Amino acid sequence: MFLLRICMMAASSLRANLMRSILACLGVIFGVAAVVSAMAILEGSTRDAVKRFETLGADQIIVTNGNDGRRGQRSVVRLSLTHADADALGELESVENTAPESLITAQIKYFEKNLSIQLLATNQNYARINGYKPERGRELTKQDVISGRKVCVLGYKVAKELFGETPAVGTRVRIGGLGFTVVGVMEKKGFLGMRDVDEQVIIPLTTGLTRLFGNKYVQFITIQAQNSNELDSVTQEVKRKMRVEHSIRAGEPDDFRVMTKEQITQSVGGFVDIMAIVLYSIAGISLVVGGIGITNIMLVSVTERTREIGVRMAVGAKRGDILLQFLLEAGVVSVFGGGLGVLLGRGFTKMLENVTVVLQTYTTSRSIMMALGMAFFTGVAAGLYPAFRASRLDPVEALRHE
Amino acid sequence: MIELRQLRKHYKMGDSIVHALDGADLDIGAGEFVSLTGASGSGKSTMMHLIGCLDRPTSGSYRLDGIAVNRMGDRQLAVVRNRKIGFVFQTFNLINRTSAVDNVAVPLIYSRKTSTKTAAMAALEKVGLTKRASHKPSELSGGERQRVAIARAIVNEPKLILADEPTGNLDSRTGEQIMAIFHQLHAAGTTIVLVTHEMDVAAQAKRIIRMRDGKIVADEILDDAKRSALQAEAHAGSQPVGSPT
Repeated sequence: MFLLRICMMAASSLRANLMRSILACLGVIFGVAAVVSAMAILEGSTRDAVKRFETLGADQIIVTNGNDGRRGQRSVVRLSLTHADADALGELESVENTAPESLITAQIKYFEKNLSIQLLATNQNYARINGYKPERGRELTKQDVISGRKVCVLGYKVAKELFGETPAVGTRVRIGGLGFTVVGVMEKKGFLGMRDVDEQVIIPLTTGLTRLFGNKYVQFITIQAQNSNELDSVTQEVKRKMRVEHSIRAGEPDDFRVMTKEQITQSVGGFVDIMAIVLYSIAGISLVVGGIGITNIMLVSVTERTREIGVRMAVGAKRGDILLQFLLEAGVVSVFGGGLGVLLGRGFTKMLENVTVVLQTYTTSRSIMMALGMAFFTGVAAGLYPAFRASRLDPVEALRHE
Repeated sequence: MIELRQLRKHYKMGDSIVHALDGADLDIGAGEFVSLTGASGSGKSTMMHLIGCLDRPTSGSYRLDGIAVNRMGDRQLAVVRNRKIGFVFQTFNLINRTSAVDNVAVPLIYSRKTSTKTAAMAALEKVGLTKRASHKPSELSGGERQRVAIARAIVNEPKLILADEPTGNLDSRTGEQIMAIFHQLHAAGTTIVLVTHEMDVAAQAKRIIRMRDGKIVADEILDDAKRSALQAEAHAGSQPVGSPT
């Protein structure tokens, strides 16, 4: 009750000096706005990434180029994965299917229409592993891959944009200057992992590697395990098999990396953590600056209200009461600034979403509470020195103050 | 109510020591109406600060309502001021940004009362200002402001009211209204110590104490004859302020 009354007193002095209070907590406003937008962006991108990886099957293991060494040593990734690796891994007892994948950006052309697409070169297992089915025509066959046929399967949006309502299957298109026959159109799927497969065109791996990509290496191999409960042991088996295939002697490091879906999600999380540290540092600096602003204005306020402090002491305020009053006042001013900061931050993230389109933000009530809590403690910490000075005033001197 | 024994207050001013109060002995009984007069520098302000527990004596003893307050710490003194003493100042000293009733409620907040509104309104009623309760001090006249200040002083029902030149910033007619309130409080049994240098105001008390150079130089009960004499002198303007009779 006493605290509530003191808060109300603080609010009334805030109202009495509204403009000055806003200016004083400008730093806090921006600090909190930074915290709120940072958390919204981080939360949004984490959720986005997690959501995308959710689309990958739980039974998948991904093999990529490069080794598991320290981050600094990965700046140059040596390509090592081949089509043969994928086939060899496919022979393992515990592995259901493997799909070698290579991806480039390419142009697809149908008469006058020209479209930029993700071109995926893979094998017949890709669609099955991902539970991705053709809507019209067929998917890639083993024969397409063995013979290196110039056939392609279009993603949903690609077909829509190039052909509209007219049937696409059987027509000839040009991809990267090479003629292909459309044998199928995939169903509408959206994101599969990090990319929108509706904007993707699938061709046989052999065709892609020999005629378009200009190298014999694949970018990654997706493995579907027999049993999703044994991913750890399958991962170990895959590693052993890969070392044999690549003739790596004992003691030498791997020239590949094996990750489960969970590990990929975690590594995204790790990146987000680094972003978070950077953003929070910026927010922290703004809050410190904001705190100095509040200290400053509270010192002015204490001087201006010296007589009031004297009167309060005369009518029975203890030194502790005065200390508490000014601390809470600083806290209230700061939380007020924090509230404005939350609004500013929300406005900023909404604007970012509208401008960038792809960026997802997500403001949780937890992040708002946290930002306001930070603002409050900044205020209280900033108010410590002024409040202490106020509480140490001599009542007689304070009452004489002009 | 108030017992002062050899009360002294010394200040250091540069190299010299100022004896603001130099061994005062004084007894004021419960329910008395006393004025404390003297020229500026006579020590009456120091006396008031000591009686009001705003300051501590250098030496000597002070018992207020039977309690030795000269040995108390800051915290206890704050409680004494809150419960036993009501202050009225020359410049009213209201908080300008809050309403009259909120100003009156301030002492209640510091005595941790859970509900303040009723008591604050009752205090305002005693000074006849209930209608102006929600007005801010800036919307009130000087006399009204002083009445709000008196309401604040009496809201905790203290035994002692200390008024420091309460009519000093008011015209004489308004001053009389304020004095009428003090008379009412006195009639209700409150002890009143009125610090003033205006003789016609001081003459309204039942007892007058004069100070000079940090010492009590005169202490007399005022009967009607003395009071009229003092008032006549004050009106004639021939009364040298703070001089002993």
